[in-house]
Amino acid sequence: MASFERIIRLAFSACALLLLVMAAPASAQQVNPTASAVKEQQLLQELNRIQGRVSIPDQRSGVLEQPQGREWREFRNVTLRWVGGIAILGMIAIIVIFYLTVGMVRLQAGRSGRTIVRFNMFERFVHWMTASCFIVLAISGLNITFGRPLLLPLIGFEAFSEWSQWAKYAHNYLSFPFTIGVVLIFLMWIGGNIPNKVDVDWARRGGGLIGHDHPPAYRFNAGQKMIYWIVVIGGGLVAITGYALMFPFYMTGIEAMQMAQIVHSIVAVLFVAAMIGHIYIGTIGMEGAFEAMGSGEVDVNWAREHHSLWLDEEKARTGPNDGRPQPATAAAE
Amino acid sequence: MARMKFLCDADRCIECNACVTACKNEHEVPWGINRRRVVTINDGKPGERSISMACMHCTDAPCAAVCPVNCFYTTADGVVLHSKDLCIGCGYCFYACPFGAPQYPKVGNFGSRGKMDKCTYCAGGPEADGSKEEYEKYGANRLAEGKLPLCAEMCSTKSLLAGDGEIIAQIYKERVMKRGYGSGAWGWKTAYRETIES
Amino acid sequence: MLIKRTHQRSDRRGSVANTLASQTIGLDRRAFLRRSGLAGGALAALGTLPVSGVRKAEAAVAGPLTAGAAVKKSICTHCSVGCTVTAEVLNGVWIGQEPTWESPINRGSHCAKGASVRELVHSERRLRYPMKLVNGQWTRVSWDTAINEIGDKILEVREKSGPDSVYWLGSAKMTNEGSYLFRKLGAFWGTNNTDHQARICHSTTVTGVANTWGYGAMTNSYNDIRNAKTQMIMGGNPAEAHPVSLQHLLEGKELQKANFIVIDPRMTRTAAHATEFVRMRPGTDIPVLYGIMWHILQNGWEDKEFIKQRVYGFDDLRKEVEKWNPQEVERVTGIPGEQLKRVAKMFATEKPSTLIWAMGQTQKTVGTANVRASCILLLMTGNVGGQGMGANIFRGHDNVQGATDVGLDIVTLPFYYGLAEGAWKHWSRVWEVDYEFLKSRFDSKQIMETPGIPLTRWFEAVTLPKDQIAQKDNVRAVFVQGHASNSITRIPESLKGLKALDLLVIADPHPTTWASLAVEAGRKDGIYILPVATQFECKGSRVASNRSLQWGEQIVKPIFESKDDLEVIYLVARKLGFADQMFKKIKVENNLPEAEDVLREMNRGSWSTGYCGQSPERLKAHMKNQAKFDMLTMRAPKDDPEVGGDYYGLPWPCWGSPEVRHPGTPLLYNTNLAVMDGGGTFRPRFGIEREEKLPDGTTRKVSMLADKSYSKDSEIQDGYPEFTLASLKKLGWDSDLTEAEMATIMKVNPTTPDSVSWSLDLSGGIQRVALKHGCVPYGNGKARMNAFGLPDPIPVHREPIYTPRVDLVEKYPTLPDAKQFRMPNIGFSVQKAAVEKGIAKQFPLILSSGRLVEYEGGGEETRTNPWLAELQQDMFIEINPADAADRGVKDGGWVWVTGAENNSRARMKALVTERVGKGVAWMPFHFGGWLGGKDLRSAYPKGTDPIVLGESANTITTYGYDPATGMQEPKVTLCQIAAA
Repeated sequence: MASFERIIRLAFSACALLLLVMAAPASAQQVNPTASAVKEQQLLQELNRIQGRVSIPDQRSGVLEQPQGREWREFRNVTLRWVGGIAILGMIAIIVIFYLTVGMVRLQAGRSGRTIVRFNMFERFVHWMTASCFIVLAISGLNITFGRPLLLPLIGFEAFSEWSQWAKYAHNYLSFPFTIGVVLIFLMWIGGNIPNKVDVDWARRGGGLIGHDHPPAYRFNAGQKMIYWIVVIGGGLVAITGYALMFPFYMTGIEAMQMAQIVHSIVAVLFVAAMIGHIYIGTIGMEGAFEAMGSGEVDVNWAREHHSLWLDEEKARTGPNDGRPQPATAAAE
Repeated sequence: MARMKFLCDADRCIECNACVTACKNEHEVPWGINRRRVVTINDGKPGERSISMACMHCTDAPCAAVCPVNCFYTTADGVVLHSKDLCIGCGYCFYACPFGAPQYPKVGNFGSRGKMDKCTYCAGGPEADGSKEEYEKYGANRLAEGKLPLCAEMCSTKSLLAGDGEIIAQIYKERVMKRGYGSGAWGWKTAYRETIES
Repeated sequence: MLIKRTHQRSDRRGSVANTLASQTIGLDRRAFLRRSGLAGGALAALGTLPVSGVRKAEAAVAGPLTAGAAVKKSICTHCSVGCTVTAEVLNGVWIGQEPTWESPINRGSHCAKGASVRELVHSERRLRYPMKLVNGQWTRVSWDTAINEIGDKILEVREKSGPDSVYWLGSAKMTNEGSYLFRKLGAFWGTNNTDHQARICHSTTVTGVANTWGYGAMTNSYNDIRNAKTQMIMGGNPAEAHPVSLQHLLEGKELQKANFIVIDPRMTRTAAHATEFVRMRPGTDIPVLYGIMWHILQNGWEDKEFIKQRVYGFDDLRKEVEKWNPQEVERVTGIPGEQLKRVAKMFATEKPSTLIWAMGQTQKTVGTANVRASCILLLMTGNVGGQGMGANIFRGHDNVQGATDVGLDIVTLPFYYGLAEGAWKHWSRVWEVDYEFLKSRFDSKQIMETPGIPLTRWFEAVTLPKDQIAQKDNVRAVFVQGHASNSITRIPESLKGLKALDLLVIADPHPTTWASLAVEAGRKDGIYILPVATQFECKGSRVASNRSLQWGEQIVKPIFESKDDLEVIYLVARKLGFADQMFKKIKVENNLPEAEDVLREMNRGSWSTGYCGQSPERLKAHMKNQAKFDMLTMRAPKDDPEVGGDYYGLPWPCWGSPEVRHPGTPLLYNTNLAVMDGGGTFRPRFGIEREEKLPDGTTRKVSMLADKSYSKDSEIQDGYPEFTLASLKKLGWDSDLTEAEMATIMKVNPTTPDSVSWSLDLSGGIQRVALKHGCVPYGNGKARMNAFGLPDPIPVHREPIYTPRVDLVEKYPTLPDAKQFRMPNIGFSVQKAAVEKGIAKQFPLILSSGRLVEYEGGGEETRTNPWLAELQQDMFIEINPADAADRGVKDGGWVWVTGAENNSRARMKALVTERVGKGVAWMPFHFGGWLGGKDLRSAYPKGTDPIVLGESANTITTYGYDPATGMQEPKVTLCQIAAA
């Protein structure tokens, strides 16, 4: 995308035009409008778009010509498919390789049989609402980009259109709960997701994914924080750009909408790739992890191995007054 | 086979909007949908020119390329049409179109788009030529009756030309030769990757 | 209009259009067709569409779309170009419009209005039935009740105040037949208070031009402009007002490599195509024209031979022109001398040159003088009476030329016969009624021969003290058939008139601003609205600006309870008790006078203007054979059996009876052709010779007849006066008259048959004999540069009443106060007061007005048409970026415009553009339905309000009347603009 260069050029030629306009009235009296007619190529070279006055209120129709749609088309049909394809397939490939070589990360200490509440009902509800919306949004979104080459030839025009129509409705409507979810996630978990020094150590130790290392972590380790920020920032971006597209021309013009679509789609495919990773770790990638969002209670051993600092905090908070029997082997590290 | 094109001779166009209302009249186009429009550039300044613009029925049409459901098709006459049965109203063709041709009726909530509507070059749609269904969805099919688009036929100054690309290019060329000036075939380079030498 | 995005949303609330946009979703008619096709019976439930809509829907889906449709032709009702409209009609429903390739005038083309006329007929917002205002509520009544109550009230007014207290306001929208009958209605009612749009359109042209060379009409044709080497448009914007004419203008410009000069205060859509654009200060037309003439005389570019042979008063003119040296012209007009020199050279030396004008010249207090100066420029350069030359005066409405010709006017009976006793006697002979009967209808013989009150002053005729109005009583009832009220200046004043009236009748397809403003003025009763059919539901002839008559067929029958104009006129006449006299020679069936028969009666009486040869049969043959007429010459091949040798539409004068087969006159005063081929000479209308005073106190007699100039093949090879029986006798040509012709002449004037002239001879014999000898029946005279008899015989610059150049008022004041047309004209006092009060400081911007391509006239009809209304959704004022910046006015933002009188103010959007120069603002005049920021939508009868409403330009316009015609002044006044 040569957009930056375009903006510079735009600003420059706008100035030039302004000068031209300011100079005009002086000579306005003696003119030959036939000889001084505007020329298409000249205007296109100056501004890469031709805009004029229309009497109807629909001002977008004042743009006579904007050939940059061509660049957008190139992005949508080529660039995006490559980026999306590589990101998503690449992520899947990494996971598959990882799974085959490393396999599920087991609880080293085995299950203790005792659990601790990790996510309450509300947190889980928000997570799953957002997650389920995300899955539908992702599939319906990917359909827009990849459906035509992949799915359409399999099921034919009518069926594909029918499916895509419903997918579009789903995409539009589910964007609202998804956005609410993202906002709630942001507010709900912001406290645990501010990066700190522990994260540096955690990251340096590779999160303990390989080998049997267990770098300490509070409620959220650096990996989870990364997911959090991907959801918050990525979700925020797709939401903003998505609404810009859903309410055409309410806030932006055509170029901005093209830009919004580019941001929306790129962020979305990367988001999808990241979420595939997230899903992997939350399910078959790590023993005991799913329970955190499943029942909401995790095995204490799991907590110790992956979130030792959080476990300490929890204990300190609830410790003596905890009604449950203290584990005999429990020893603070 | 002919390759149908539009050509607006900006040195003739006076922004009388006959093309716009002829289109409304012929196809009963509802309020808010502007299949054709006239844009005035440099309004009120020396060199002001007005250009009537609708779908240019591009060669290698961008709308068709980006459509997620592949609802566009090009007729043997080079007219770019689409199927409203297949269209899902996603708006992508509008992002890709260099001429702002696709129009969307506002339906349902939050201003979301209905099925796209655009200039059909008075050639209807995929339904049988001249059928009731075709008229209801796309408007009249003049091409099938051997008539050209009404906008061009009714143009007050014969500025808007419609017909086979080579023929209208020839007409334009002759005009420019005779009168000695011409601001070019607006949109041709973008739509057809060609210009008329004059 | 360009609306900045940031303003857009908040602005939307103010616009009607958005509410409409949401309504129309339910009215997607294509979808509607589908639904109706599936379930025809369930239609009534929808309720939003009228019966006709249903019929249309059923028809449209009846089969392959246009299969079996009948093709009917009529004439577009929106301007004077005269475009043929081809309609496809199925089962009585107008289902489609096709281009009319065969019309030599529009060759398939239309403008926005013409391409959307179908909607006018099937509009859902048309009036459906008669209504009257009862206690402030619009109430449905039957036609019988309406006509009876209206008639009773009118008769009551007559009883108390005399016939002149009823004002009959007709329309240029009516066919010739309708306009003629409306004038005749006035005559039989006993008043000359019958007027129509020409008053506010080209009344000054008609007077000024007729006073120059005989007839006040466009001399050539739109098509003929193709022949010009120099086209000069001054005071007109045909690209918006007459778009299809631009086809001829622009093609002519291209083919001839012609100069295309536009002189205008605005850089209009026409000016965009100019080869030379001259921006002038509004209201300085005469100085501009004199500035051009100064260079012509200075350089000896004038056509000396032409002036010697065919022009009177050149020396008087020269004296006036000499005052206008380039310095003075630039001081007054703002145009540099060099540019005008260039224009002068092109116009005078690159011939043929034509001068085109419209409202820009006419709608001024000096309108008559303006057009006179234009004619003088043409005469000086020898640019009259040939191809590619002439005064191409673009009339406004589709039949404004015709309505003017048929005398729907305050100063004349049909066909410019005037109001003198002779004229009344002529028409009483044609109508076969007793002259004494006609006289008895009037208050007095004197008032019978006195011009009526111009429509521009109707409200003052209601409200001024009785002693200031030179008739028995004030106007107390107004009967309007097809005229807008918002196209008349000084709306705030007119409200007083609306309130004070005893009766207001509005006969129109739409309620118009008469209705909404009358309600706003506080009326609770005394208004009737009669639904009248559009012209597409009527047949009859219409006269295009080029004087061609075109016969329009009835496309569909009148919709709802609408009635044909002719029927309404008949019903009123019958109620008033003189229908049997008035329609004595006209066939009436089911209360509908037959249009063809009306035209035949016109043929029988219209010798003066050469409307005598255009029989309905010939006109219909022309429409049928349109394709045979050449586009450039407008002539059909000589060998054609039906229209051989005719010019399209038999442009008047078409001399003699239809049997003479005169081909019509495509170019007036063209001496290069024989009269029987459409040739002609200037009309000696103002005496044969004139006594002139010389500087030394002596007098000399100067001939007003042409000097060795004559039309081709003329047997008299010099100037000659009009033909009478006496002059035929003198020439020995009286023996050519047949016995029957002689007998008719004897009947016309049994006492002194010798005085019977070409225009009074009902047999047409005198004309036939003159033609036979190659002579023009009206004679062969000189055109007048000095039009003695007019307020300014030689045009004189006079500053507008409200001018920003107060420094010039002393040198160029307007004419003194005087009494004209039964009314006082106090322009001088108003101007003086404005200067003294410093109005120009308070209101520093010049306000001008004009047309938009999408709308026409008062605009109610076109603003009701969604296809047009969508294109112009808000009233606006154009303002120069510099003036806008001074006032903090933003493009697309709301502004208050205030005017110099009545504390008038209006709220509209600003269009910041360089179309207007600094210090000038411009408004379109088609809007109505708002007043002083108030939306009057609720004042319209339910469901008949136009889609788009807005402030009327004429809320702001001010006092000013042309002394010769009563023309208003909407083109130059003062205003101030402030951001709202």
